[in-house]
Amino acid sequence: MKSKKGLSLDRRRFLQSSIATAAGVMAYGSSLSQLIWAAEGKVLRVRSYADINKLDPGFYQNAYNVDVMNCIYSKLLNYKPGTDWATELQAAESVEQLDPTHIRFKLRPGIMFTGGYGEMTAEDVKFSFERVIEQNSPMQDDWGPLDHVEVEDKYTGVIVLSKPFVPIWNVSLPYGVGHIVSKQAVLEATKDGGDFGMKPPCFSGPYVLAEWRPNQAVILKRNPQWSGPKPGFDEIHILPIDDPKTAETAYRAGDIDFTHVSLSSLKELKSDTPPDTVVEDRPSLYYIYVGMNMEHPKLQDINVRRAVQWAINVPQLLEVGYFGQAEVATGMVAPGLVGHREKALVPPEGDLDKARQFLQQAGAEGLTLRIDVLNESKFTTMAQMIQAQLGQIGITLEVDVHDPGSFWTIGMESEGERWKDMQLILQRFSMVPDPFYATTFFTCEQVGNWNWERFCNERFDKLNAQAMTVQDEQKRTEMYQEMQDIMEDSGGYRFLTHEASPFIYRESVMTPGTRPDGRPLYRYFEPA
Amino acid sequence: MLLYLTKRLLLAVAIVVLAVTLLFVMIHSVPGDPASVVLGPRATPEQKALIHEKMGLDEPLPMQIALFFGDAAQGNMGTDVFTQRPVRDIVFGELPYTIVLILTSITWASLVGIPLGCYSAVRRNSFVDKIIGVLSVSMIAIPSFVMAVYALLIFAVLLGWLPAIGSGNGGFWDGVQHLILPAFAVGVGWVGYISRIVRASMLEVLGESHVRMARSFGLPERRIIVRYALRLAILPTVTVLGVGMAHLLSAAVFAEVVFARPGLGALIVHAVDTRNYPVVMGTVLVTTALFVISTTLADLVNAVLDPRVREGL
Repeated sequence: MKSKKGLSLDRRRFLQSSIATAAGVMAYGSSLSQLIWAAEGKVLRVRSYADINKLDPGFYQNAYNVDVMNCIYSKLLNYKPGTDWATELQAAESVEQLDPTHIRFKLRPGIMFTGGYGEMTAEDVKFSFERVIEQNSPMQDDWGPLDHVEVEDKYTGVIVLSKPFVPIWNVSLPYGVGHIVSKQAVLEATKDGGDFGMKPPCFSGPYVLAEWRPNQAVILKRNPQWSGPKPGFDEIHILPIDDPKTAETAYRAGDIDFTHVSLSSLKELKSDTPPDTVVEDRPSLYYIYVGMNMEHPKLQDINVRRAVQWAINVPQLLEVGYFGQAEVATGMVAPGLVGHREKALVPPEGDLDKARQFLQQAGAEGLTLRIDVLNESKFTTMAQMIQAQLGQIGITLEVDVHDPGSFWTIGMESEGERWKDMQLILQRFSMVPDPFYATTFFTCEQVGNWNWERFCNERFDKLNAQAMTVQDEQKRTEMYQEMQDIMEDSGGYRFLTHEASPFIYRESVMTPGTRPDGRPLYRYFEPA
Repeated sequence: MLLYLTKRLLLAVAIVVLAVTLLFVMIHSVPGDPASVVLGPRATPEQKALIHEKMGLDEPLPMQIALFFGDAAQGNMGTDVFTQRPVRDIVFGELPYTIVLILTSITWASLVGIPLGCYSAVRRNSFVDKIIGVLSVSMIAIPSFVMAVYALLIFAVLLGWLPAIGSGNGGFWDGVQHLILPAFAVGVGWVGYISRIVRASMLEVLGESHVRMARSFGLPERRIIVRYALRLAILPTVTVLGVGMAHLLSAAVFAEVVFARPGLGALIVHAVDTRNYPVVMGTVLVTTALFVISTTLADLVNAVLDPRVREGL
């Protein structure tokens, strides 16, 4: 009885307590979001497709992190906003190639690090670049054959390469690893100069990271110590919205003023454009292809692979996968980049008769194959179309759909035995504006790592190594074109598209500054 | 009562341990490697091995499970492989948003559903009862996802009355405004569900002898319904609500995705996709605990409301 009395709770008191608790929890939850957005000045509200998870440029992962780094750090060069690929000076007053392995830079005086870490010097540049190699960063390949940086005086230094590396101009300097951090600040924060992850010790760009609310918003505010050209907006609010349809709805509701949109919405957006909105359609750098595991017993015969290549009608795939809003690719290298091919060896529409002939030559009629695809509707839809197309030549195709965690390890030898049974794969890789980034993944050395087709060609490898060092653009173009020819001729690849990168923005709010592929460069966004 | 509570507590711990262990085994059985996701395509096998070692993935599975529970008992749920933030901070940072969403959804659903169910039972077979019946079944039948999308399009885009995404950033009322549409989408199915359960229970209770006795004493009908009938009829609803926590957590997943709200649902979906094991485990540990707590609370509420249950403890 005692214990009963001790724990007794009458109904009224119980209900009162419950209501009070619920109200308390609600108030607590809401108070979490009571953060000041300081919307007094000009605020740019944009959508990112993912939340940031790494702000150390030496260890950068993913473009959405670099979008923020572009605002809070400075680098010697940056991509010039516009529709043609070009770079321009940012933190550097000058950058000159002394010879194929030496590049001299001179910093603009007066670029300050926040937090009292003083002025940016050549010593900071040396530290920022060399730590990527010394700390064994997974991004060290971005620096290619960087040997060291020689400091000549406070502002001047020379980047020394052990061999020529042309992508340094297109990728290393103007992209992720090119951002310059304060040596003193990083050493204080990390002791050994290693990865500082999500805790930048100081900033050197026109904006500072004012606040990061995980999965809600990244808020950048003007850097009061910034001495360069004044950026257009006082604040930038980057909202992570994974789903493009949600982002489009948020745009229409007025919650954001700039967002990339899905290709499935593009036609409608063009024909029924929301008020005060501009729709821009930019070519993307991604490359999407059907790959074939050349070592798989069913695909070892090149005639089988060619049959698949010739049976695939690319425009049909793009119609169902991208609603006709994506262009046919001729290879891995997108238009506008060095090494782009004018046309592929296999015509986009393919040829069913030719495909049947190849299959007959292989004696593989009635073959059953499997294709692995990512669990996104565009890929599953395209896989079903490929299934129908291969069905026309008598190949039965099974479609295996995977979540990202499973998909991205299918062909890796380090992740078990699944690579042995991989047959066809519908693959999508990201890209930076230099062809070396694409071809490097298809060397013999990469077999079983990212080269899931297990394509290995001596001539390809030789060209890949040479093309990084060739300064002559025409010659370099020819080399990369030949490399794509070799890949396609192996029968292991059917290149589909580079997709597209459409975005919308409110013209009464801004003039956006983007790379030619539509990637936003927020620091160059200007108020209308 | 104390013995009952102790038993329930032990059972709760057992359920949490079992559920988390099962999930641990499951997520390690499916293909996927967090190191590959974290380090990106250019990582070397050595760099991946280092990450495996850091995360304890090089240990045998039983050892990993033991280490997880050992750490969790000390309040350490591990570290997010991407941001290097403590999983505890991440999970408990997102938890309030999910709890607020769930509580708001279930509260408004109950506030609407219970009176509807009562009214239907009292006016059994009337025209209004039939209308309520059709509406209730419709609310149950329409997928919450569809309701969410259309609510978003109508109230945020077309009418512009409410914000479309996020959880708010301008104080209490802003937070409330951001909560209305997601809570509506999550709770609407429950309105129909609750009204149906309450109606059925009420019909049963209204025919019981103590209600007939109350009527024979001439007590006012309102008092009979609220004090004598509903008090008992509500019990199955309370039990369902307790068990329904798991369903509400699932519903919160889509709401958090559609409305780009922070919360455990969105967190776990992304963590599973990226094989962010520590975040998956931490989130599941907390959600399982939530489920167990809610069912236990439902039982206790039943005991408070029904003396017969109390006597049986």
